[in-house]
Amino acid sequence: MSDITLVLEAVSQGDGHAADELLQLVYGELRRLAAARMAQESAGHTLQPTALVHEAWLRLIDDGSRTWRNRGHFFAAAAEAMRRILIDNARRKSRLKHGGGQQRLNIDDVEPAATTPDEKLLMLNDALEQMEKENPEYARIVMLKYFTGLTNHEVAETLGISESTVERHWFNAKRWLVKKVRASA
Amino acid sequence: MSDVAVNRAEEIVFSALKFQSSAERAAFWDRSCSGDAALRAAVEKIWAEYADGECFLNECQPALSPGAEAVRLLADSTDFTDDISAEFDSDKIVGSNIGPYKLLQKIGEGGCGTVYMAEQEQPVRRRVALKVIKLGMDTKNVIARFEAERQALALMDHPNIARVVEAGATETGRPYFVMELVRGIKVTTYCDEHRLNVRQRLELFIQLCGAIQHAHQKGIVHRDIKPSNILVTMLDGVPVPKVIDFGIAKATGGERLTDNTLFTAYEQFVGTPAYMSPEQAQMSGMDVDTRSDIYSLGVLLYELLTGKTPFDQSELLQSGLDEMRRTLLEREPHRPSTRLDALRADELTQTTLHRRVETLKLKPLLKGDLDWIVMMALEKDRSRRYQTANGFAMDIQRYLNNEPVFARPPSRLYRFQKLVRRNQTTFAAIAAVSVTLIAGFGTSTWLFFREREARQETERARRNEVQLRTEADARAKIAQAALLISRNQLAEADQLVDKIQIPVTEPSLEAAGVFHTLGNWNVTQGRWQVAADRFMQLEQADQVDKSDLTAVGTRDLLGAGPALIVAGDLKRYRQFVQVTLHRFADTSDPVAAEEVMKNSLILPADTMTLQELEPLVKLLQSSGAQNDPAAEKNDYRIPWQTLALSLYEYRCGNFTNAIIWGQKCLAYSIPTPPRVVMAHIVLAMAYSKLNQPENARLELAAGREPIENKLPDGPEKIVDLGRASTGIWHDWVIAYFLLHEAEKLVKYSSFS
Repeated sequence: MSDITLVLEAVSQGDGHAADELLQLVYGELRRLAAARMAQESAGHTLQPTALVHEAWLRLIDDGSRTWRNRGHFFAAAAEAMRRILIDNARRKSRLKHGGGQQRLNIDDVEPAATTPDEKLLMLNDALEQMEKENPEYARIVMLKYFTGLTNHEVAETLGISESTVERHWFNAKRWLVKKVRASA
Repeated sequence: MSDVAVNRAEEIVFSALKFQSSAERAAFWDRSCSGDAALRAAVEKIWAEYADGECFLNECQPALSPGAEAVRLLADSTDFTDDISAEFDSDKIVGSNIGPYKLLQKIGEGGCGTVYMAEQEQPVRRRVALKVIKLGMDTKNVIARFEAERQALALMDHPNIARVVEAGATETGRPYFVMELVRGIKVTTYCDEHRLNVRQRLELFIQLCGAIQHAHQKGIVHRDIKPSNILVTMLDGVPVPKVIDFGIAKATGGERLTDNTLFTAYEQFVGTPAYMSPEQAQMSGMDVDTRSDIYSLGVLLYELLTGKTPFDQSELLQSGLDEMRRTLLEREPHRPSTRLDALRADELTQTTLHRRVETLKLKPLLKGDLDWIVMMALEKDRSRRYQTANGFAMDIQRYLNNEPVFARPPSRLYRFQKLVRRNQTTFAAIAAVSVTLIAGFGTSTWLFFREREARQETERARRNEVQLRTEADARAKIAQAALLISRNQLAEADQLVDKIQIPVTEPSLEAAGVFHTLGNWNVTQGRWQVAADRFMQLEQADQVDKSDLTAVGTRDLLGAGPALIVAGDLKRYRQFVQVTLHRFADTSDPVAAEEVMKNSLILPADTMTLQELEPLVKLLQSSGAQNDPAAEKNDYRIPWQTLALSLYEYRCGNFTNAIIWGQKCLAYSIPTPPRVVMAHIVLAMAYSKLNQPENARLELAAGREPIENKLPDGPEKIVDLGRASTGIWHDWVIAYFLLHEAEKLVKYSSFS
C-alpha cells in the first residue's frame, strides 16, 4: 500500500500542496510502468498511454472501491503528467530546431502552416493554459481525452457528469482551442 | 446574428456529428435550417471552426502518436518537474554550492526533504548537515517562521540536541536548513542492532527526555519526535542519543497547522501519523504545546519496548484521512504488554531476541508499571499525560529503582466515559440533525451566537497566552518538585510548590502525586496549616476528570478535613465540606459516599449539611452490603459504611439507629483499629444521649485507650502516617476529635 489513498484524500479536500504530491506519485508510477513495458514488449508493438494510465490506477489503488470517488483526481494527475512529458519533449525538440537557448517558443514568430507537430502541440498547450483559467470545465475534459485517451464514457464516469455533456463540451472545446491558437498565431 | 440563432446553429452542427458522410450531414443541415439562409451560413461557419479544431488537434497528434512514442518518452523521461526539484533528486547537485555551503554527499532522504553533508568554509571550516525541503512550501513563510523561533533555538544548549543553525533559500527558491552534523543511526535501529535490553532502552530513553525537557524549558516544542529524528552516536564507546530537526516542524508546518483547511500539515502527516499526538491530528490550530511531544515520546517508548507503534503506520495510512484522525483521536491503543499478543510468532521472537529476553518473559516484564507509564504518556487528554518530559523520565526512574510509579490504571468509570467518547460520532450525528432542524427556525439567533462565540474565542486566545505561560511555569515547578521528592528533598520540594496558586495548577495526576506526598510530609512535620494548603492544592490537582465520582476521587481528599481542623481553620473546613459534598452528590460508589460522609461529620453538622448528605445515606442503605456479615471478606471497606451510617444517625439525633449501626459495625471480625475505636465512641455518645451512662462509660473506655496509645501527644504530633490495616493518620485524627467530643458529653451527662 502506498501513500496514494491518503494523497487522493487530501487532494479531494482541496489541498493544493497534496496535488503536487499526487502528480509526482502518479508520474513516478507511470514512468516506472512505461519503462517496464518498454523492456518487455517487442519492438513495434504499440502500447497506448491509456492502457498505461489504467494499469497505473489499478496498481496504485489496490482497494479500488473505497477511493473510487477520487478517481477523477487520479486521472487528472495522470493527464497532467502525460501532458508535461509531451510538452517538455516538444519544447526540447523545437528548441533544438531553433538553435536552442530559447526558453520558450515565441508563437508570434511562427507561421502555423510551417510549424511542426511539436510546435503545434506547444501552441495547443498555450491555448489550453488559457482555457484552464477561463473555462476549467472544458479544460478538464480536454486533458482527459487528449492526454490520457479516455473515452467519452470514461471521462463522464471519472468527472461524474453525463456522457452527453462530455460530448457537447468536447465539441465546443475544440472550437474554442483552435480559435485561440489562430488568434495568437 | 442573435445568440439564440448561434445556439440553434451549434445545436444543428452538434446533432449532425453522428453522420459520417458529408452528404448525409448536408442533408440534415438543409432539413434543420428549412430554408433559413442565415442559419445555414452560421451552421457552415461553426462546422468550419469545428473541423479546424479537429484537424489542428490531429496535427498535434504526431507528437503523441503512435502511443508507443508517448510511452517511450515516458520511460526515458527525467523528472518533468525539473525546474523545481529534479536537480535535488539526482546526485548532480553534490559538489555544488548552496549559499556558503558546499554539498559533499547525500546522506538521507525523507518524507519532506533531502539531507546532504555539506562543508562550510566561512567563518569557520566545519561540516554540517543541510536539509533541502521538498517542493510545495512557501519558502518565505518557512524562513520567516524559522527566524521567529531562531532566538529561542539559539538558547538550546544540550549534549543530546543537534542544533539547527540557519535557514535559507536555494537559488530555485526552496527552503533549506543547516544543522549540526550527526553521524548516527536511528534510535530504534540502534537498540535492535545492539540488542539493548529493556533496562538499557529505558535508560537511553531517560536521557532523551532530558533533552526534550531542556528544549521545553527554552520554550521550544519539537512537534515531530520520531525514531528518524533521534540518532544515536557513539562517543567514547558510550551511546549518545541526539535529537535533530528542532524548529523545523514548526517552521515548515506552522502555517498549515493554523490554516482552516481540513487537511493541512500534510508532509508531516504522511511521514509520521503513528507519532502524531491527538491534538496535532485534530489540527485545530495553534493549540499544540509541550505535552504533544510527551505523547510522541510515549509512542517512541512504546516502540522501543514492543517493536511496534501503538497504531500501525501502514494501517493508519491505508485507512484514509478521516479514519486515521478518528483513530488517533478516539481509539484506545492496546497496552504494550497486550500489543505483544497481536504479534506474529516470528515477530515476537524477533522482538524478544532484540531485547535479550526470553520469548515468554517480555510480556510479564511490561505488564503493570511499564504499561501504565506508557499509557499515561499516550493519554488522549493531554492533562492526564505526564505534564513534563522530566516527570515522564522520573516515573521511569522510579520504575527502575523499584519504587511505586505515579502512573496508575484508569478507574472503571473513566474507562466507561471513554467508551461514550469513542461513540461520539453517533451523538454528533444526532446533534447535527437537531441543529439542521433548529436552524430553520432561528438562523439569525444562530448567527448571533456564532458571532458571539467568535468574539469570545479571540478574547480567550488573548487570555490564554498569559495563562499558558503561567501554567507551563506551574507544570515545570511540579516536575522539579517531583524530582526533588524522588531524591527525598521534601523541604525543597515543598518550598517550590508553595508559590503555585491553586487556580493555576491544571489538574494533573503528576501534580496530585506531588501535593499528596507533600501534604503528608507536612503532617509529619506538624506544619498543619501548610499541610492543609497542600491538601487543598491536591483537591484541585486531582480534578483531572471532574466527573470521576468514585473512591479514586475521594481518596485524595481524606487528609484535607482533619488537617484543616487540626490547623484550627474551621471556616475553611466547612467550605471544604461543602465543595466535596457538591462534587460527589451524585456518586454511585458506596466507598466514595462513605468517605464523603465521614469527612463531613467529624464535627457536629448543621441541618443543611445533614440534608445534603441524604442521597449518600440512601445509597449506602440501598447497597445493603453492610447487612451481610460475610461481605467484609470481599471488601474491608464495607464495615466503614456502617460506621458512617452510625455517625450520621447520631448527628441527626436518631440515637437508637446510631446504636444499631454501631453494633453492626463492631460485629465485623476484622478489627480495623480506628474504625472500631470510632464505633465505640459514637456508641458512647448515643448511649449518653439515651441516658444510659453505664453503657456510655463502658464504650468510651473501650475507645479511649487505643487513641491515647496512638496519639499520646494529641493530634498535632503524627509520627507514623499509618497503613490501611493499622489505620491511617487522618482516621486516627478523626477518632481523636470524636473522643474529645464524647468525653465532654459523657462527663457532662454523668454530672447532670
